[in-house]
Amino acid sequence: MSLALSVRSLEAKIGDLLILKGVDLEVPAGEVHVLMGPNGSGKSTLCHVLTGKDDYQATGTILVDGIDISGMPVDERARAGVFQAFQYPVQIGGVLLEELLDEMAEASPDPAAFRARTTAAVESLNMEHFMNRSVNDELSGGEKKRSEMLQLAAVQPKIAVLDEIDSGLDIDAVREVAELVEELRSPDLGVLLITHYSRILRYMKPDRVHVMIDGRVVKSGGVEVAEELESSGYDALRKSLGAEPVAEEDDFLAGL
Amino acid sequence: MVSLKSHPPIDPTLPTWLADLQQSGVAALADLSMPSAKQEEWRYVDLRFDIGSFDLATSGVPSALDVPFRSARGALAITDGAMGELVSDLPNGVVFGSARNTTEPCVSGKFGSGVPADRDVFAAIHRAFAGDGAFLHISSGTAVEEPFTVEISATRSGTVSLPHLTVVVEDNVEASAIVYFASHEEVDAVVLSQLEVSIGKNSHFKLTVVQQWGDKTRAIADVFYTLDDNATGTFTEIGLGGVYSRVRFDADLIGNGSHMEIIGAYFGDRDQVLDYRYFLDHVGVGTTSNIFLKGAVEDDAESVFTGLIRIEEGAQKTNAHQTNRNLILSDGASAQSVPNLEILANDVRCGHGSTMGPLDKDQRYYLMSRGLDKAQADRLQVKGFFEEALVKVPHGNIRDELRLAVNKKFVAAQSEGRV
Repeated sequence: MSLALSVRSLEAKIGDLLILKGVDLEVPAGEVHVLMGPNGSGKSTLCHVLTGKDDYQATGTILVDGIDISGMPVDERARAGVFQAFQYPVQIGGVLLEELLDEMAEASPDPAAFRARTTAAVESLNMEHFMNRSVNDELSGGEKKRSEMLQLAAVQPKIAVLDEIDSGLDIDAVREVAELVEELRSPDLGVLLITHYSRILRYMKPDRVHVMIDGRVVKSGGVEVAEELESSGYDALRKSLGAEPVAEEDDFLAGL
Repeated sequence: MVSLKSHPPIDPTLPTWLADLQQSGVAALADLSMPSAKQEEWRYVDLRFDIGSFDLATSGVPSALDVPFRSARGALAITDGAMGELVSDLPNGVVFGSARNTTEPCVSGKFGSGVPADRDVFAAIHRAFAGDGAFLHISSGTAVEEPFTVEISATRSGTVSLPHLTVVVEDNVEASAIVYFASHEEVDAVVLSQLEVSIGKNSHFKLTVVQQWGDKTRAIADVFYTLDDNATGTFTEIGLGGVYSRVRFDADLIGNGSHMEIIGAYFGDRDQVLDYRYFLDHVGVGTTSNIFLKGAVEDDAESVFTGLIRIEEGAQKTNAHQTNRNLILSDGASAQSVPNLEILANDVRCGHGSTMGPLDKDQRYYLMSRGLDKAQADRLQVKGFFEEALVKVPHGNIRDELRLAVNKKFVAAQSEGRV
């Protein structure tokens, strides 16, 4: 079984602030993993460090389908098979989704195959009317997530990192997104879904659940890990690991 | 006192009204010299040339230059100092041709009425030496869908040409025109143009200028609009070329309920200076105006936008907005953006916004996370930036050409390593 993603001893800081303190994580191809954690635990940082955002200084290894991507710039990582569905995808006024997908096709190794996947995904996601709208501009929360999922389907990456793809959605939209993730399952794709609520897990069957606290993955297991968290909370988990409970959320850290 | 290096004597065969105009220009010239950046209206620019070293362009071969975007319908060409013949038939109610030769009586009160001869040396030279121009007269109740076009080109280095367009739109008219400015690279000429538009009651006239001067040409365009009751004027300028290109725009919103819509997109590369001065005078009650300009500069290019909205004492219920957004693509490039208001009435709404900055980092990150390399991501961002203005260009069928022209400039800057 090949590993879509293998992260070892990953540390990352922004300025002098160490956020990831040694993350180890594996996602085999064909599996859907969930990464949970409280605000400020470093989940979004992990997404951006995997994607290669240059705001962070990172050390450690990141292998995607066996290839070390850690020194690569953002676009090379994308072409090596990393795809991030953003929690807050930036709006790009004046650029139509159709144009973006066309440029993505040009940048892909097989533009014709990319375009065929795009056509199929547009149809199956019923997104024809999105194609001539500006990228992430004047879209509802749910529409932005669908636009991200459409791009994901067109790209066909090795590892898909879905950053809080369930945030800001009503319950119907959460179910819809969960179903889309399940539909994406394929033997060649690993999925890492990041969330801090377990409600999306009602509609999908992850293979593994990991918990991240204070910049480390502190627990991994089956769906029961999420169920435990649901009933006893992150502080109980912290206590059981011998860490101090955090009294108050830090607004700055919450955004990381 | 400034004059041209050479010019012929006043033509004795000119109609009296035109000879009188020329005399007033000569008189105004006596007290004028080249402007300096110390004068408010010329602030931020260093002209670095002397108009006195150029000869008047007296002749030319019309249509000697294949300007881009040629249109064959209702088109006039002005090449150097020569007016061409009208191409194609005109709809009923329309007069379009030489101002000097027209029998339309209103030409004498309108031609040269927009720009005071003593405003600056360039206005005076234009007044003193312009011997003809294009005259477009549209009678009441006429609606013309296709734009009239005027193709203005300069082909001779060392010359000053003085193209002129006077548009008189009567009441209840819908019409539009496109002016193309073009010269080949290396044509070291000066072009002092005047475009005057007067719009009657309940009429809408749209004028679009596509400026593609070559990289040695200096151009100053004086544009003037006057609007009657419930008239709407649209002015669009796409500024792409020239080593120095200036648009001085004045609109008098005299009629109650009149509206002026201004759209612009400009891209300065290398050592280009693109200079925009907008003056809108709200006189009538319930008048509105909207300025929306997007510009980019790279390498050592400079752009200037100054906008002055003046709201006269009686111009209650005025609503005026100015937006100017600038992309600074290189460290050596600069943009000035100075919106101003002068409000003498008390029941008005005005707003302005200026921004300037580099390409957006978050957009670049997002696009690169989709596999686009930096060059491709930046091109897409630049496209998106200008799209907001280009999508408003009134003539839908030229938008694609304009998108391509903007993209071409940015791609050249990328491939030559300037951005």
